[in-house]
Amino acid sequence: MSQMNGASSLVASLEACGVDVMFGIPGGAILPAYDPIFSSPIRHILVRHEQGAGHAATGYAQVTGRVGVCIATSGPGATNLVTPLADAAMDSVPVVAITGQVPSVAIGTDAFQEADIRGITMPFTKHNYLITDPAQIPRAIAEAFHIASTGRPGPVLVDIAKDALQKMTDFEFPTSISLKGYQPQAVPNTQSIIDAADLIAQSSKPIFYVGGGVIKAEASRELLELAQLLGAPVVTTLMARGAFPDSHPLHLGMPGMHGTVAAVTGLQKADLLITLGARFDDRVTGKLSTFAVNAKVIHADIDPAEIGKNRFADVAVLGDLKHTIAALIPALRSALSKNRPDLTPWLHQMNSLQSAYPLGYDTPKDGALSPQYVIERLGKISGPHAIFAAGVGQHQMWASQFISYENPRTWLNSGGLGTMGYAVPAAMGAKVGAPDTTVWAIDGDGCFQMTNQELVTCALNNIPIKVAIINNESLGMVRQWQTLFYEGRYSNTNLESKRVPNFPMLAEAMGCIGLSCERAEDVDEIIEKAMNINDQPVVVDFRVHRDAMVWPMVAAGTSNDDIMIARETAPDWDSQEL
Amino acid sequence: MAQHTLEVIVENSPGVLARVAGLFSRRAYNIERLSVGPTANPETSKMQIVVNLDGHALEQVIAQLDKLINVIAIKEILQESAQPTVHDTQPDYQN
Ligand SMILES: Cc1ncc(C[n+]2csc(CCOP(=O)(O)OP(=O)(O)O)c2C)c(N)n1
Ligand SMILES: [Mg+2]
Repeated sequence: MSQMNGASSLVASLEACGVDVMFGIPGGAILPAYDPIFSSPIRHILVRHEQGAGHAATGYAQVTGRVGVCIATSGPGATNLVTPLADAAMDSVPVVAITGQVPSVAIGTDAFQEADIRGITMPFTKHNYLITDPAQIPRAIAEAFHIASTGRPGPVLVDIAKDALQKMTDFEFPTSISLKGYQPQAVPNTQSIIDAADLIAQSSKPIFYVGGGVIKAEASRELLELAQLLGAPVVTTLMARGAFPDSHPLHLGMPGMHGTVAAVTGLQKADLLITLGARFDDRVTGKLSTFAVNAKVIHADIDPAEIGKNRFADVAVLGDLKHTIAALIPALRSALSKNRPDLTPWLHQMNSLQSAYPLGYDTPKDGALSPQYVIERLGKISGPHAIFAAGVGQHQMWASQFISYENPRTWLNSGGLGTMGYAVPAAMGAKVGAPDTTVWAIDGDGCFQMTNQELVTCALNNIPIKVAIINNESLGMVRQWQTLFYEGRYSNTNLESKRVPNFPMLAEAMGCIGLSCERAEDVDEIIEKAMNINDQPVVVDFRVHRDAMVWPMVAAGTSNDDIMIARETAPDWDSQEL
Repeated sequence: MAQHTLEVIVENSPGVLARVAGLFSRRAYNIERLSVGPTANPETSKMQIVVNLDGHALEQVIAQLDKLINVIAIKEILQESAQPTVHDTQPDYQN
């Protein structure tokens, strides 16, 4: 136990939690904390916007599996964290946000830079704190890290009044944490495992519906073993890309609104969904009442509130997926030894869908560059260990579709909230977490204009990320909906970003290398060039054709049975035996 | 109408009422009545919440409540008039 002020106690607590880096911007209310930060071994990266700090913490957490930390001042500093915290909540990312608050006597008086950030963030933090007594700081920080990183991960905010940072206190870091109202169940109940295994062994059309929880639980290896043991097809959701190797013959790809015909139809026609860390999101299920109507459901998740939320579960398995899948393997082996259904016809159906409807795209006749081609080449040239962080829009869907993900934690995106502006700061955080790995942000010309200022942070802090702007001079995904559902009335989706801004010049102004590419024959060379620049961030403006669309597509609110593979083109179901 | 009475033991910490009320409001659960009172333990309070399910599953309401870190225990108080829980999924929507 030692005497220090609350600010030093905060920094000592962060050190005790093993924090090695945090992203933030100082200001009046948090200023006392920045004094001990100055002499702490924790690396503080000074960002250019607090939103960048929040997404960087998220990117760091998604790549490392550790808690990401961001820090901001009261009022506008804190409110700038709102979007990344909501984003981290939707995608279950362990993030701790520290904010300064006005002095405790001023709370409630509409003081300068006062905002009730605890109240504001209640709906999308896993938990949050307002600390006015310095003696509470170590426990609040210890609990925040515990809550953020255990159970279903999520963001936790700790708001600390300025006077609590200034007053003297005794620093004593708690040796144990016990929260009466928070005891996540890690080990699944044995009976639920047996029930799940028995149900699987009775099924002739099972499919693994794999969500982001598998990556969070570090359960990819176990999943591979389980999937091979059963020999059933696998789909990986947008949050689970990389949880199961794309190159594996059992993998049907991504399900959902822009999923493959095989993955979408596999879920629709299955008699059993083996749901692992997925949540029956509307982007996966389409019109819920028509989703996988003949399937029974095994739902394995760590969050009890996901069970039965959107879809009834015939067998619920509560627990950490690493334990759950590890326990399922011997249970299934024994169940299959008594009864092993023949999955060959089912696999055959799926394989024929896969070969009839692979992902593809048209090359524009006028010689313009295809965005899908650029993204495909980025994936091929960067290899299976490179990390990709996408923005939100068409480029995000193509990045999910046309890059082969072989390893967990190599695909980062804003799945649940769909946050434009996520890619650049998330890539920055990812590169800080994995400095020896190639990190690409695949960003839209629209998204890039929301948070590109963090390239200054990257340039100044030796964080050499690479950015591929898929410049279709429009808010492409919105434009696609206008093409399909609003008779091509392109209201406010034309960004004119082939005219302004000049992206390579903008990149150069921020201390990066700026490149540009407009022709298919130059793509490889420019990617290679970017791959060889490792001492500075690089931005490539890929000037692509504007009218490319994302296919397949299940229109919002419609049934997965109505999947379209191109405009007004459904798969030829009659030629498929289903 | 599917009315249920829940007795919820919560940590007596600032903001806990806002957390519970906020949860009900953002998930569109209807509160018919809510009262908060002390328990023998000064560190906890007891809430009595009468919820009108209106298509939501009771298990889901309880599971969501239980996710709040400050919620320690939840118990359903059974009444004569209690209706069996309806298991309904969220309505389909378009966005
Ligand atoms: C912060 C935010 N604002 C608005 C949207 C709605 N939105 C979804 S995709 C999109 C277009 C994105 O444009 P761009 O970054 O150029 O990507 P593209 O679809 O063209 O690949 C918009 C505006 C959003 N998802 N996030
Ligand atoms: Mg665009």
